[in-house]
Amino acid sequence: MDIGVQIKTLLNEAEIYRAQGLFSDARDKYQAAASIITKIQRLKNKKSLLKTISGKIASLEETTQKVSTGPTSPELSEKGQDLIKDLFGKNELEKAVALIKFGQIERAVEELTNLLTVEAYRVSAANYILQCKIRIASTDEAIEQYKDWFASDLFAPDQLEAIREYLQTILAKKGVVADLPQSVKGGSSEKDPLFFEPEDDMLDITSIGITLSTGPEKGKMVEFDVNFQSGDMLSLIVSKTDETLIEDLQKGENLKNVQFYSPIAMFTGTAMVANKTKIEAGPKQGDFCLDLKVTST
Amino acid sequence: MAIFNLKKKEIECKIVYYGPGRCGKTTNLEYIFQSFKKQVTGEMVSINTEGDRTLFFDFLPMGLGKIKGCDVRVQLYTVPGQVKYSSTRKLVLRGVDGIIFVADSLEVRREKNMISLKDLQTNLREYGKSIFKVPLIIQYNKRDLAEEGIPLMSIDQMDKDLNRQLKVPSFPASAVKGSGVGKTLKAGLMETLKSLQKEFKWAK
Repeated sequence: MDIGVQIKTLLNEAEIYRAQGLFSDARDKYQAAASIITKIQRLKNKKSLLKTISGKIASLEETTQKVSTGPTSPELSEKGQDLIKDLFGKNELEKAVALIKFGQIERAVEELTNLLTVEAYRVSAANYILQCKIRIASTDEAIEQYKDWFASDLFAPDQLEAIREYLQTILAKKGVVADLPQSVKGGSSEKDPLFFEPEDDMLDITSIGITLSTGPEKGKMVEFDVNFQSGDMLSLIVSKTDETLIEDLQKGENLKNVQFYSPIAMFTGTAMVANKTKIEAGPKQGDFCLDLKVTST
Repeated sequence: MAIFNLKKKEIECKIVYYGPGRCGKTTNLEYIFQSFKKQVTGEMVSINTEGDRTLFFDFLPMGLGKIKGCDVRVQLYTVPGQVKYSSTRKLVLRGVDGIIFVADSLEVRREKNMISLKDLQTNLREYGKSIFKVPLIIQYNKRDLAEEGIPLMSIDQMDKDLNRQLKVPSFPASAVKGSGVGKTLKAGLMETLKSLQKEFKWAK
């Protein structure tokens, strides 16, 4: 193919991918075009062409940054929240829980607070309020809320005990020790049929940082994008050019001090290498698929 | 899960458009909203980001009128396609009765299609459903981009990648131009209603 046609084709493709919102594919095509142009010895307007392409790449990177760091769960309008309630909840409690699941925590707390006056939902609503308090504020706020309820006469003793047990469980999982006032010993251990167990939600992880333990870059932290996540299993595609970074990783190996980057938080934990395979065919041939299982956070 | 009111002879079911980011799920719904006004029973609602990427879901209610004596209503949803919205996809998929998988025909999106289909399979499994048993249609979208000289996968290749084991009905389409959108939806509705008919035996 004639070089000029090749460059035009790449730029055309880049534009279409950009218009489609496929920013990394657009960037790849711009870079491919720039690479060809750079190699041409004598080209009219070479500098200005490269400058234009560089500008387009910079603009793409800015947009990519905006898109990838946008809020995962922004506060919606009341209309949007009402729609979530209507579409994803059959009763008042489920509607409030749907709000939580879509990240509309403040509105969820309002709805749940109203449900404290409904006998059938009282304990479940209280448990969800505590969940929300921990999520948007802190365990201290949840503890304070429980103590306020303890001091009030809103709950019967056995209801208060069920709530206390629930809060104690969550705090224990977070490693928080708290002395929660107890109204009766051995309250109802019967599981509240209306209560949905809080899922041990694994946050959506967008990238991870692994500290290399061997090789010439021992001690250095390298970041990889997460290609696919299913619960606590993360799949990464590692370019063949980065093979040396992962060549010492073995299946079953435990990785300490792994940084997990999610859209809303960064946290440290451990992971285990579940699988490491070389991709034998397709567009990623030669690259590596690295599967990691998150073992603690 | 479909709601079947025996007394009022009403059925309401849920169809979800699934697929990787930027494949055209929302565009499908937008075209349906514009072109099937008689069947659309409410506004299309889109909860999206500034960049027009679906954040939570799109929603479009439709009424199909009386089918075998029952008033049939359908709720169409799309899921967000971006990788980071995995938990939202799972939420929207809850209670689904039929799925339309929108695949992106661009060659550069080949891997994303397969990852998204695997994601669908995983999410269905978590609800106790099998991708092999749920009513499913595949749409090969963006066929119009061949005219712009953009490298597309052939239908054969896409069928091999995505439909070799599933063997479900598939349709080429261009959601932005509207071609194939109606056919895909019609097939999705038929498969879903056939399945619900077996389940509720309402047409006997």
